[in-house]
Amino acid sequence: MSDKPSFNVGDELIGPVRPVTPQRIEWYDSAMLSAATNELRQVGSNIHTDEEFARSEGFLAANADGMIMTNWCSEMLIRAFGLHYLEGGELRTKYIKPVYLGVPLSVRGRIKEATKQGNGSTMYAIDVWCEDGQGVKLVDGDAKVTVAGE
Amino acid sequence: MLGGYISDLEKGDVFKSVEYVVTPFMCSEYAHGTEETSEYFHSARNPAGRQMRPPTMIHVDKMRILEENCDKEKRIAGMKGPDARIHYEYHAKHHSAAYVGEKVVVTGHIVDKYVKRGRPYLWYYLEVSTSDGRLVTTYNDLTVLRYKVDGA
Repeated sequence: MSDKPSFNVGDELIGPVRPVTPQRIEWYDSAMLSAATNELRQVGSNIHTDEEFARSEGFLAANADGMIMTNWCSEMLIRAFGLHYLEGGELRTKYIKPVYLGVPLSVRGRIKEATKQGNGSTMYAIDVWCEDGQGVKLVDGDAKVTVAGE
Repeated sequence: MLGGYISDLEKGDVFKSVEYVVTPFMCSEYAHGTEETSEYFHSARNPAGRQMRPPTMIHVDKMRILEENCDKEKRIAGMKGPDARIHYEYHAKHHSAAYVGEKVVVTGHIVDKYVKRGRPYLWYYLEVSTSDGRLVTTYNDLTVLRYKVDGA
């Protein structure tokens, strides 16, 4: 990635393509607990890890924590914009449908606006989403990143 | 109402803040859990020259502040509330990065609580700053407090 990434309106960003697996759900939930406690932790039973409990709560089955997909969207933006995103970006994700085990997810983005600012920087508005193997959006969102000028 | 279950929180509730020092383990472990291999989060060998807290770790900060403010439902400690909740919307704005070794302070309040299509929603607003006052992240979060719709 360049120090000054440059994109045109309509340019596509390609993020990870990954199926949601029980291991990935466990990795995230355990990592979240470990980061919160500063020690290695293991997730217990919840709607993400326990089929029976998930059904009792009205879901068809156990499903992924939305933050897994948010992190994958964030990964795509880090690859595209680096520090510009990390130090001054913005990301919004909305979990519009449950993501069940085995669903092959593709993380995607598209530059919606590229606006030159008075100070020489460029503000990018980006559509961000995750879709399944049939192209159905399961997570929808947007991001903003300003890339400083020379 | 603070001090109860998460579903007891009400519009206007102001959280008691939490503080912690960002450690290499926290950053690396969280990134590892999402298969994020960017060196920003695993060591100082990156363009910033310091190991960085993943910005999405604001979700962990939400867990921390709920743990401090909801005595009947300490999720990190393994306690459960009356219903499973689901995260509906994440919206983080990065104002600066936080680095390993820095002490950060998490503050926040409940912006709103409402029912839509039979499901109760809770809207959180959180801020993360360094202990010397540099704003790191502002965050809006929408959570569905009960997925199951009564009578459905």
